[in-house]
Amino acid sequence: MTKIKWLFIASMIIMLLAMPLFAACPGEETTPPPEYTLYVGGGMSLTGAYAEDSAAVLAAIEDYVQYVNETKMMAPWRSETFPDNVTLEVLWRDDELNVEKALTIYEELKAKGMLVYRTSGSSTALALMDRLNEDRMGSPSALVSGPYLLSPPKTCLTIYPIYTDDLAAIADWFLENWTEDRAPRVAYLTADYPPGKSILIPEMDAYLESIGYELVGTQLVPLVPTSPPTTQLLWLKENKVDLALCWMINPGSQPTIKEAVRLGMGTNLDYKITFGLAAPSHLPVFVPAMGAELSEGVVVAGSYPPLDDLATPGVAFCNDLQEMYHPNDMVTHVMYEAGLVEAMVQVEALRLAMLEMPVEDLTPVDVLDFGFFKITDLDTGGLSSTPLSYSSGNVEGVDEVRVDQALNGKIVKQGTWPLRHLYAQ
Amino acid sequence: MGLPSGTFNQSYGQDMAIFRTRTHWVMLLAFLIFLFACPLFFSDRILTILTIIGITIISVHGLNILTGYCGQISLGHAGFMAVGAYTSAVLTAKLDWSFWAALPCAALAAGMVGLLFGLPSLRIKGFYLIMATIAAHFIIMWVILQLYSVTGGGNGLAVPRPEIGGFVFKSKGSYFYLVLIIACLGTFFAKNLVRTRAGRAFIAIRDNDLAAEVMGVNLLSYKLLAFFIGCVYAGVAGSLLVHYFAFATVDQFPFMNSVWYLGMLIVGGMGSTAGAIFGAVSLKLLDELVTIVGPILSAAVAPQAAASLGLIMRGLVIIIFLIFEPRGLAHRWQMVKAYYRLWPFSH
Repeated sequence: MTKIKWLFIASMIIMLLAMPLFAACPGEETTPPPEYTLYVGGGMSLTGAYAEDSAAVLAAIEDYVQYVNETKMMAPWRSETFPDNVTLEVLWRDDELNVEKALTIYEELKAKGMLVYRTSGSSTALALMDRLNEDRMGSPSALVSGPYLLSPPKTCLTIYPIYTDDLAAIADWFLENWTEDRAPRVAYLTADYPPGKSILIPEMDAYLESIGYELVGTQLVPLVPTSPPTTQLLWLKENKVDLALCWMINPGSQPTIKEAVRLGMGTNLDYKITFGLAAPSHLPVFVPAMGAELSEGVVVAGSYPPLDDLATPGVAFCNDLQEMYHPNDMVTHVMYEAGLVEAMVQVEALRLAMLEMPVEDLTPVDVLDFGFFKITDLDTGGLSSTPLSYSSGNVEGVDEVRVDQALNGKIVKQGTWPLRHLYAQ
Repeated sequence: MGLPSGTFNQSYGQDMAIFRTRTHWVMLLAFLIFLFACPLFFSDRILTILTIIGITIISVHGLNILTGYCGQISLGHAGFMAVGAYTSAVLTAKLDWSFWAALPCAALAAGMVGLLFGLPSLRIKGFYLIMATIAAHFIIMWVILQLYSVTGGGNGLAVPRPEIGGFVFKSKGSYFYLVLIIACLGTFFAKNLVRTRAGRAFIAIRDNDLAAEVMGVNLLSYKLLAFFIGCVYAGVAGSLLVHYFAFATVDQFPFMNSVWYLGMLIVGGMGSTAGAIFGAVSLKLLDELVTIVGPILSAAVAPQAAASLGLIMRGLVIIIFLIFEPRGLAHRWQMVKAYYRLWPFSH
């Protein structure tokens, strides 16, 4: 009995002595996984024509990254979560919409370990296109011009329709509402600027003629007119144009439409004409600036819902993020929504890639192949026209184009129309 | 050429030599070795910056010959670069020419366009010449955008990378070497040009064109020569730029680039070959600094603090140099060298 007693005591002592050793040994359950940081962001054009847009985009990306880091959720309406051991960080630089700067910035951020990279505008995207493709770097971009970028598809991904598809959707919408027997007469009224001219492609002409339009011609206006483009507008009038398809940014579209109204041109004015604009003339910017009378009847395709449309989950999310992180400094520019979509796409690509590869082994190619190109029906809460899908042959994320019209000072959604994929060959 | 204390020229040859002493040669050799060794120890990012700086130096040399030496102020330099760029791009992309044949054609085309826009320089000068060269920029851009079938218009044009004997200048290091060699040749030519009869005529025209004419300098021919040579440099730089990007678009040649090239001359020192180099290097490095500082400032002060920071900083530096050192960094460098030459004796 005594022997058993001593054996028991000895074993207890051994166990007591051994316990700290067991505790000190790394066990699978007790050791937290190593922490990793992944970067999102890229080039921003905080200087130049797109400064205001880029600032809103940047604010959205920073807010979304903070949200994901804090909650590990992808969005309030999504059930997927972001890995606990991975922290996101926003890396960005002001490229001033200058292609030389854009190139050195890209090299710098790539060297820092970015696996995804945003390009801020069409010009920088065009210039970086081959570099991005060589590095197989997935690049969701604010660019939507240059059908050239999509033919053949490379690694620049659009988050909204390209301009030619925007205008094709307007043409479709207009034709559905056309009641006269004759063929409607259409003309281009576009900015004398590379993205403005990107809509002037034979494929666009052919599409318009194939659906029954009579193509009249083209008028160019300055990107930001220093005097009203009266001559160009009167040319539309003299040629009895029914629909003007335009690419303009707001500083260009506002004075142009103002002058058109002065000349009695508009949907409800003496000379009946509809101005259909591609996304850079976002109605949520255009309508408040112009007012009900001047904006009446103007149509914009490929844009986002207005920021006061809180019934749309994505817009409510925009509002909630800002209420959470900077309630006294709310960004009211519609490009905040674009930034949020861009951030969602970048983070989703990283998340999907991490499902296939260990985070420490990820390369841009992995994020492109297992991330971006695996994005299928990414729900943006109604911010984009449709959920986003990408694959190696499909870099235009949406499947349909949202068309809105300004009516009585309100932005009224007219519906969505399918993409026509009007790429320059 | 200034020499250290105790060293004297004993012949015209020695007097004319750019590099006179053994120390000069050793320093030049060490510097060249350092430059050519850069790809061995610098990252792709640094090589990209150095390559862009090299291309800018070539362009600014051209502007220096035209403006710094000949006194013909041009704000159309980016436009002339675009002429060279698109000539080279179209010849290589559309007609399958070799880069090596397209490069001299690009230089020649830019030079010819420069001649054309230089024609009014006999009648107009100063502010009016500036306006004429600004017009040149916009006319060139307009033509490029209108020639859609040739240039790709607003959509741009994909350009092949230079190739020699099956070797493609695709890597950052290889393209850096290409630019470095051309920049060195361009610097050598620019340095020697101003020591020729033509160079002295340029300086005479810049200092007092009336006096120069009285002395027998043919104003028209020398002004046109300056335009031609300056634009040849621009054409070479433009060609190198688009082949580096493998893409040509008018956005690569914004009007503001012409202004900044002039700013580089102010900061570096107009009328000095070294000044062109100092100006290009310093403003490009300032650009990089601003790019890095922007996000830090934005996080520390306000989200909008980084907006337009590049424009502000570049503008500020140019103003500071105009006020405190109008002769530019090249003059400062001369002072450093003078100090070294006189050492151990002070001024």
